[in-house]
Formats: sequence, C-alpha cells, structure tokens
Amino acid sequence: MALTPYDVLIIGSGASGGMTAHTLTKLGVKCLMLDAGPAFDYDKDRSLRPVYDLPYRGFGKPGRFPHITQANEFTAAIWADEKENPYSYDPKDPYYWVRIRRIGGKTLVWGRASWRLSDYEFKAKDHDGFGDNWPLAYADLAPYYDRCEPLLRVSGRKEGLPQLPDGVFLEDQSKDGPSVTRFLEEAKKRGIPTTKQRRAQGALASSMNLLLPDAMATGNLTIVPNAVVREITTDRKTGLVNGVNFVDRRSKREMHAKARVLVVGASTLESTRLLLNSGIANSSGVLGHYLFDQFYVKNTVQALTPEAGGGGGYIARFTNLKSKDKNYLRGYAVDFGSGGTPDPKYFPLYGEALQKALNANRGRGFNATTMGSVLPRFENHVSIDKNVIDAWGVPSLRIQARYTDNEFNMAKDAMNTLAELCQASGFELLEKHDRMVPPGESIHELGTCRMGESPKTSVLNKWNQAHDVKNLFVVDGSAFVTGGSQNPTLTISALAMRASEYMAEQMRKGDL
Amino acid sequence: MLALPAAPALLAQEMPKIEVGVPDAGAETVAHFFSAPQLAALRRLSDLLLPAMGETPGALEARAPEFLDFLIGESPADRKQLYRAGLDALNAGARRKYGKAFAELDAAQADAVLAPLHERWTYDAPKDPLAAFLREAKADVMAATVNSREWVQVVSQRSRTASGTGIYWHPIE
Repeated sequence: MALTPYDVLIIGSGASGGMTAHTLTKLGVKCLMLDAGPAFDYDKDRSLRPVYDLPYRGFGKPGRFPHITQANEFTAAIWADEKENPYSYDPKDPYYWVRIRRIGGKTLVWGRASWRLSDYEFKAKDHDGFGDNWPLAYADLAPYYDRCEPLLRVSGRKEGLPQLPDGVFLEDQSKDGPSVTRFLEEAKKRGIPTTKQRRAQGALASSMNLLLPDAMATGNLTIVPNAVVREITTDRKTGLVNGVNFVDRRSKREMHAKARVLVVGASTLESTRLLLNSGIANSSGVLGHYLFDQFYVKNTVQALTPEAGGGGGYIARFTNLKSKDKNYLRGYAVDFGSGGTPDPKYFPLYGEALQKALNANRGRGFNATTMGSVLPRFENHVSIDKNVIDAWGVPSLRIQARYTDNEFNMAKDAMNTLAELCQASGFELLEKHDRMVPPGESIHELGTCRMGESPKTSVLNKWNQAHDVKNLFVVDGSAFVTGGSQNPTLTISALAMRASEYMAEQMRKGDL
Repeated sequence: MLALPAAPALLAQEMPKIEVGVPDAGAETVAHFFSAPQLAALRRLSDLLLPAMGETPGALEARAPEFLDFLIGESPADRKQLYRAGLDALNAGARRKYGKAFAELDAAQADAVLAPLHERWTYDAPKDPLAAFLREAKADVMAATVNSREWVQVVSQRSRTASGTGIYWHPIE
C-alpha cells in the first residue's frame, strides 16, 4: 500500500504549528504534523499528589533543571530534560533555554498573555532609526489578530492606545480594590497608560485543546508524536525541500517523511537549529543572528498596601512614543497585581515574629514585574556546536546573547518609576531592584530566522516563506524582526494563520 | 461439608486502591552528610527559624534538618559549600562570642549570631558567607517544614487553601 500523500508537513504542535494545522486543514489541505515529544492524556497522565509524597518534598531533584526556573517537582516531567537536550554558551553570558517537547508545546504552560504589536514595532526603524522594519505593517496583520483572539478566547478591556491596539475581546469587567485604584490614578496623573490584562481564558488555553481538535475533526490532520527531526532534505535538481529525516524518540529508528510544502514551527531556536543543521535557507548569512527576547525584572517592586488588596493590571509602553524622551530607545511594559502575602524573605525576621508579621500582612502584597523591549542585534546569535550532541545524535546550539546599556537603562528607569508610583499610592516599599533574569528565562526568545524585504539581509519574506526555498515556511517566533514589550504568542499565532492562508492559495494556484 | 465462602465478586473484577504510606510515616532519615557539629547547629537553627506554635508543628517536628541533610547532600557542589561553610560559621560565631557551640546558645545569644537575618533582603546575594547561607536556610527550612507530612496533615485540616497538594505530571516513557 502506498503512503498517504500529504500536502504539507508541519514540524511542531505548539502555538505556531497548531495554528498552521488549524488554518490549513479547514481549507482542505492534508497535513502531517511531527512533534519531538509524546502525546499524552491530560486526565490519565496527571494526578493529584500531596507534596510530601514527592521524592524531594517539592524541592525537585537537585541540579536537574539548572536553567529552567519555571520547573518544580510537580511539573518536572513537562520540561525538556536538560541532560538529553544540552546546549552551550560562554560561561560569562549564561542563556536559559527553556523547552517543552510534548504535543501542544509551550502552550501547555504559557501565561496566556495576549497582546497585539503595533506599528511602533512593525515600523520601528521608521520611528527611531534603529534596526529594521518588518516587511509588513500592523494593518496587514490586524485581520488575523481579529480571528486569533476569539479562537484563544482573549479577555481584555479596550483603551484606544495606538501603541497597544485593541482587539476582539471577551470584556474584562473585574474590579480593583482601593489600593490598586489609587495606583491607577497616580499612573494616570503622570501620563502612564494602564489597562486590564489581556489573557486567553480557561485553565488550559493550549494548542492541544483549542486548535488541534478542530484540525483533527476535518479529517485532514495526522499527528505523529515522538518524531525528533534531524534535518530537512533537499531535492538537488530543484533546490526545493522534499522532506525530513527524523528519529523515533523511543526506539531511535531512523525515518524519512516526504513533503511537498514544509512548515517549521518547532519554536524559535529549535527551528533555526534545524535549518542550520540542514544547511539551507542561509544565502543571506543572517540565519541564527538577531536573537532577542523581552528582558524581565521579576518583582521589580514588592510593596505592602495599606488595605488588603485585590485587583491588578498592566502598564502599556509609554516611553519614546512621540519623541525620544529617555536615555534609551523604545520602552517597557509592567504586569502588576495585589493580594496575597509577600514572600517571607521580604521580612527581616524569623521564628514566631516572622509568622506574626506574615499573618498581619495577609492580602496586603503588591508586586510588579517589568518586561522590557530588547534591541535586536546581529551579534546576539546562535550557531551549531558540533561538540554538543543531544540524546538522538543531533548537534545542538551554542547561544550568545547579552543585554546592553539600552536594556540596563530601561530597567533602572522602570524601577524608579514603579517605586515612585508605589510611594505616591501610599504603599510601603519592601524592595526595589533592576536586575533582569538571564536572557532566555522569559521564554520569549525571538528572531534568528527573521523576515525582511531583502534576501540579502533576511531569511524569510513577508509570508514567512524562505527567500531561498519557496516551499519552506518558518512560522514561529524566529521570524520576528522586533518584539516590543508585548508577550509574543498572539502575534506568532496571527502570523502562522496569515502564512497558512497564503500557502493554501499558492498551492491552489499551482505555484507551490 | 463446609460451604465455601462466596467469591468476592467485586474484588475479583476490580483492583482495589490500597492507601500506602510515605517513608516519613514510619521511619527517620539517616543523616550522614553534615558533620555532627554542623547537624546540631542546623537543628538549633531550624527550631529558631520555624518553631512549633500551638498545634502547628515546627521545623523539628517536620524533621526539616534531617531532610535537608539528605537534600543538600544530593545538591551541586556550590550549594553543599554554602551550607557547610554557613553552619561552620554559626558555630565559630557562637564560640567567639560565647565560648559555646551554636546549639548550646539561648535564644538571645543565638539572635546575636543571627544578626544578618535582621538585614533587609536585597536582590543580590550578600557577600558574607554566613549572611548568604542564612537567607537560603530561612527559605529552605520553611519550605521543608510546610511541605512535610506533619505540617500538611495539621494545617490542611484547618484551611482549604493550605492543602499541600498539587497536580503531578507523570514521567514520560
């Protein structure tokens, strides 16, 4: 019996691969999806356990996840094992590379924050002269944002801010307590725009429950788990890609899957690693370059509110919009929230005195985390490290990324602004700092396979299609040119949807 | 002739769920990583950091020091060093000030040795090894206590939010 022919081979099942499958299968395109990780049963493969019944009392196996601060002993099995999936960096510049290899990818655990980019990002070079513009404008992507938000069930509140375009939201009608209300007023007095969180709703808002089931229902999608893709294969006569070599995760059996059109959505750095290992789509020489993310200053301020708290929200970027008014380019956003009790470390006490202080301050916590724009720079890059091989024999990456004064100055400004807002709101400041977590830890890694008008300075065109290989598309965060301060998943989804419709149309016309 | 007892029809069809215990339910950790003076200091420190209050068990009832002997013994070298140097510094400080081991100090004397715990927390770790150790130990002793069977069983009966349970993802094949 002949193998079922598929129109499109998709690598990855997360936000980008999932949206690609969702879009293409509804247009009647037959898709085969490969993912490096297993399929699993959300009910049977998880269970309620008391923390004292875990082997390490909730601390987790020491040293198991030196770079994945998000992992804990309950969730340890979710994250890609660091021994099986090594990578390297210069010890002076640590990089935290966080991966999940399971059907659904990182959408299984994402924070669900769903923000649109604006032309302050898409046309950033026009605005401040740094770097490059995207080869598309906000207006090109807006119709796709409009369709992605209802799919992900994004809630939010419309504000009419040009730097943070409104979307199609479930209306957020949540109320704020008196402390947060004062904080919002103090922000307004200073011209600092605030809004409610914009967040996909539901305990699980994942590719696995929101995208893949609809795609499966069309009958046009086949998912093959445990397929660790080694390299993309090329037809030497045409220069087009014609499939992938993969290894079965469990048996290590070597396999080959054919593709008429190949979509790579394996996550920002995994996609670029795959292209580099395959030696394709790099006539520009920029594949692997322009790695950036958002820098995070976690708990930039930690304060106590006079009243037990409640409520929270988001500060939209407000710096350098009309003119350059800071000692840095671009800007930052802030997540803030109140309620709960601050961590015991913030109280310079111990023993019974500490317990009394914790009880007295229950519900009075307030904290804010800064998420800052990182300038895309050529020198921040990844390359193949032939000495670092994963458990399936695939060469891994060496990652070089470093923040610069633009980010450091921005972090300091954010700290001072937040401390001032807290004090003006009558909060007691317990701690403020401007120390960002290492690059990568925000899990918002972007770039390295960027889009652009010119094949000389970019890997992909405005349709996420490789300039060099027309039947190759890369649809995840690696395509980003700039990232702003907004969480990237919604934009990744919208770009994947847009690329998929273009792809389907080109296939229909016989151009692919 | 004796009648055979009726077959337990249900049990023949279904596997029952047997509730099993955890090691701490019937056994003690054999502490072997820290030296005797280090472990004595850790026990005294743990009791000071989180004493039993009313019916709520403290770090000693939760066997937090013995658990940490195991956990730190399994940990990367820098963490081992942080603990060993910190506990040695507690004993050295106690001897210097009072001519006794840390475990033998009364609460006021111990508090003088634990002065770094009254410093405000800062994002960057303190350079002084004792201060750096104490802030880690404060977090670890508290976590080892509130995550213990002893604590969870008492506190979760009082509060629905302090249940000490979570959704555990089973390891993958």
